[in-house]
Amino acid sequence: MATTATISISSDIAPGFSGISESMTLTQAGTLIDIDSTTGFAIRKLAATGAVDLVTMANELVEPKDSVAAKIYIRNIGYRGTIDKSVGVTIGVNAEPIGKLYGGDWMVMPLTCIDADDITVNPDTADTVVIEYVLFYEEA
Amino acid sequence: MATTTAAVTLTSDLLSDNMSVSASTTCMKAGTTADGLDQMEYGYVEIASGTAYDIIGNTPTASKASKLYIKNHSTDETYYISVVLDAQAIGKLYGGDWMFIPADFHDANADVEITATGGTNKICYALFHEGTTLVAS
Repeated sequence: MATTATISISSDIAPGFSGISESMTLTQAGTLIDIDSTTGFAIRKLAATGAVDLVTMANELVEPKDSVAAKIYIRNIGYRGTIDKSVGVTIGVNAEPIGKLYGGDWMVMPLTCIDADDITVNPDTADTVVIEYVLFYEEA
Repeated sequence: MATTTAAVTLTSDLLSDNMSVSASTTCMKAGTTADGLDQMEYGYVEIASGTAYDIIGNTPTASKASKLYIKNHSTDETYYISVVLDAQAIGKLYGGDWMFIPADFHDANADVEITATGGTNKICYALFHEGTTLVAS
């Protein structure tokens, strides 16, 4: 069983920058053993401003192990094929804003999975927007 | 317009049917649809175990659309860095792991701090942004 994530970044900002292309295999903390649990792929539709939990750690059906090698992928996929890059959704951890995903933007981030460290989403506007996500973790 | 594109492919066979997700985005300035991020910082550092370090020395303009990439290039899988933003622990990047996040640097405390554990961690990072407060000489 393996879970892999590959990133490719290209940019013409700086002359001579040849881009970034890297891959990782998601493994359990401090080992070469593949990570073995996931929430599966999910979406959350938002239609109001205000922070709400995307992932409530204490409510996961299977308790994730704390402070190890969990990763989450999140993407703002717009709504019904319309992706607005001018408005965004602020992603937070335990009420701390991490940054804003504008339409089409995605992120991959490590997580502590501590119960207090819920993942929150807070849209700029009340326009409907859909967030897709998948969490990979180790069972407690 | 400067153009920065970030793409990801995620595959997993943990489910009964293999999962494969691909996504690509063009990194735009905050609130715009026609103007791309136009500044960047790209670096590589080695951080001794136990050392806490702000990965970005200058503070980019707050609440913009900055994107931050960090990879732990350590080849020992037991080595890791802890990533903290504004005193909030985010998670750990073990040897070989990478992350890519929007980073809004919403106030002076919102630096991205990393602490190395296990040994000297080799860290590559890139920040794509639209302006920063430079430190006067």
